[in-house]
Amino acid sequence: MKNLAIATGNLSKSYGSKLALDALSLEVAAGEVFGLLGHNGAGKTTTVNVLTTLLEPTHGNAEVAGHSVTADAMAVRRAIGYLPENVQFYDSLTLMENLRFFAQLSGLSRPDQRIGDVLRILDFEGQERQRLGSFSKGMRQRVGIAQAILHSPSVLFLDEPTSGLDPEGVRTLRETIVRLNSEFGMTIFMNTHLLSEVTKTCTSIGILRGGKLVHQDTLAQTLADFPGEDSLEQIYFQLESEQVS
Amino acid sequence: MNSTWTIAQKELLDLRRDRLFGILIIFLAVATLISVGVAAASFRTELDAYNLYVQQLSASGSATVPAAPLLFPLQLLRGGVEYLEILGALFAIVLGYGTVAKEKYRGTLQLLLSRPVGRFAIPAGKVLGLAVVWLVVVALLTVMTTAAILVIGNAPLQGIDIARILIAALIAWVYLVFWSSLAIGVTALSHRLSTGLIVSIVVWLAFVLIIPQIGDTMDPDNQVPGGLFATLNILKADELKVLANFAGFDGIRNGIEVSSVTKHFERLSFAFLGVKDKYNQLPIGLVWLDMWGYAITLAAATLASVTFAVGVTSRRNLQRKIS
Amino acid sequence: MNTFLVSARHEMLNTRRARTAHLLLIVFIGMVIASSVIGWVTNQTVTGIYEKVVADGLTMAPNPFTGVTPLYYTRNAVIYVLLIGSLMAIVLGVQSTLRDRKMSTADLILSRPVNSSARLIGQLAGLGAVLAAVISISLSVSWVIVSIINRAPLGWADTGRIIAFGLLSWVLLMTFALLGMLSGLRSKRETTALLVPFVIWSAVAFVLPQIGTAARPVSLLNPVPAVSSTGGYFDVVSAITGPLSVTEQFKRASSIILQDSAVTGSATPSILILLAYLAVMTVIVVATPRNRMRSGLHE
Repeated sequence: MKNLAIATGNLSKSYGSKLALDALSLEVAAGEVFGLLGHNGAGKTTTVNVLTTLLEPTHGNAEVAGHSVTADAMAVRRAIGYLPENVQFYDSLTLMENLRFFAQLSGLSRPDQRIGDVLRILDFEGQERQRLGSFSKGMRQRVGIAQAILHSPSVLFLDEPTSGLDPEGVRTLRETIVRLNSEFGMTIFMNTHLLSEVTKTCTSIGILRGGKLVHQDTLAQTLADFPGEDSLEQIYFQLESEQVS
Repeated sequence: MNSTWTIAQKELLDLRRDRLFGILIIFLAVATLISVGVAAASFRTELDAYNLYVQQLSASGSATVPAAPLLFPLQLLRGGVEYLEILGALFAIVLGYGTVAKEKYRGTLQLLLSRPVGRFAIPAGKVLGLAVVWLVVVALLTVMTTAAILVIGNAPLQGIDIARILIAALIAWVYLVFWSSLAIGVTALSHRLSTGLIVSIVVWLAFVLIIPQIGDTMDPDNQVPGGLFATLNILKADELKVLANFAGFDGIRNGIEVSSVTKHFERLSFAFLGVKDKYNQLPIGLVWLDMWGYAITLAAATLASVTFAVGVTSRRNLQRKIS
Repeated sequence: MNTFLVSARHEMLNTRRARTAHLLLIVFIGMVIASSVIGWVTNQTVTGIYEKVVADGLTMAPNPFTGVTPLYYTRNAVIYVLLIGSLMAIVLGVQSTLRDRKMSTADLILSRPVNSSARLIGQLAGLGAVLAAVISISLSVSWVIVSIINRAPLGWADTGRIIAFGLLSWVLLMTFALLGMLSGLRSKRETTALLVPFVIWSAVAFVLPQIGTAARPVSLLNPVPAVSSTGGYFDVVSAITGPLSVTEQFKRASSIILQDSAVTGSATPSILILLAYLAVMTVIVVATPRNRMRSGLHE
């Protein structure tokens, strides 16, 4: 039997009368890099918000790292790391002060050693005492990754991690994601618009449309199932159009 | 001038749809009405006590009748003037801050700045817009409080009283424009928007509350409940003679008070409304002869504030880091 | 380290780094110290006036300041706590809860194993420590100045009274900090978040006492509470507005603690009212739903 990092069953979320997620059932195996694709407003951020316990589902349930997001939200929070879209920090605090705060909230009582390790992984050595206000967008995004992995989570959620980054920033981030998955065994759940990044980073994908999951499989199988198409982009648009018609 | 007026019109439209603005003005209006009502109730209580006293006197066979308390209708406006002085200034700051802050928050600032408008059109349009808003608000408050004097206070008003009320309204308008302009300038100068609001409020705290309070606290006669000289049974003429020996101290005290524009507004309004006994029922011309200095300083302060707002609300300052 | 302590320490660090908070703290400490000096200069002048009046043979009345307590010089601190301190506490409270909504750091915090009540109580404790430090510094300096004016260190009894006044000030400022926190959690815009508690403060400090006592707004800037007008209307209304006028209750209790001869009676009812407000506000803030703590701003 597959060891599942994430499993949802008939998961729905409404905002008033608007249905943002419609009976979502998806599974992500442990150790995968999963890419959730979809247009703007398809429900990607809502999915991540429910899985990270920031929002409560209206119906259905979801388990992350073996814990229910509704019945055992605290256990889920201990097991996950999260990088929101357009992450921001306390600009008047230094890099070290920001990370120490988040590490302590994650339950690390003496976090400085671990913060040092994470800063080495993300190439921040020597910048511990700089205030975040002076950091570029790319650097902030890497700080975002740093705060998310401080407590060595088993599942890492990234919401549009490449949003607003320059090509160099995108490449650095991609390398970091691959390394976190391969070296540290983290399961990664990523929302993104960039299909080229999905091809280079993800091992499996899901496609959301209007709050419904219209496709889910490994990337290799998806590509194999559409022998006539030579890129993920073409497959994506074909799947989208099938649903429309 | 065209683009200035266009921006002013936009501010008017924006504020007309702004719920917060509506709430503030209603709050100010209610507080002012309450103050007229409370002052009228206070006078009636005093009158009742007087009537009771007279009854008791006549019951005891006394023929002497003490003078009845007199109602001077415009004195019912004292609380209202003080609300404008304190809360009106605070709300003027909020509106001034809002006109700059909203453009930055919404990102409409870039849209404005990319248009072919003159160097001073944006700040001048904003000041003009708020000046019109305050004109309308002051006019509404004037009509409302005048009606309140007639209805709640049940007091008759003469033509000259209306003239005095209109002069007080003009003074209030100048005072409110002062605070809105100051807030526009301070917000344009601030890197962080919330800093603009907080710094303006610290200035408000200093000029509206602290400085007048210090002046009041330092008044020797306020040191003893009921007044120092009254406690010592000293006549007014002797009081003045004694105080002449302490002119230095009183000079410093008065200097502290008049360093606040709020005190100028207060003294002017109280003089024209006859709230201060010295000016009660005095012809307007004589009041003006005594108070023109304050009128000049209040007008000069407002002119300086408007110049400050228009001067510092430059493209460069507006486009500083937005946070 | 638990959420409570981490949040408290983080709040103190943030306040230490915020320049606007510094501005308000300096104004507050400066004014509390200045109030002692102003009190002294005025008292010297009044004594001079009295001596002149006696020398001119204009009065036989005793000096109204004979036997005045040294704490008289601190009486103006009451009004500065109420004016500057309250607004400072509101600003600190608003910033503490609004900060995480504005920067979306609330998502980073709430996706961790954090109990939302512990987080809010921790923030409140951090603010409490900052306010306690500010009050301690200003009243300590005030103690030194009054001792200098008095030409002898203040005795234990007077020192105890200053400490009691400090504690009461802390209770009042925490109540306003909580009002700020609540507004920071509930408002949709930053401007509203700052403005609503200011308006509530002005209604409590000026409008409510006026309705009950006929005191004019400017006269409410005096350190002693407004004396209630007597008569049918005012007797009824002041019975209702009196307990609601939290600032007047503070003035009353402080005046009694600092032995201001203008106010007599027991401070206990006023102190209990202030404590009740603190307790109610704490419950309201701590009960804030988790979702509310991360809701975005409309600006």
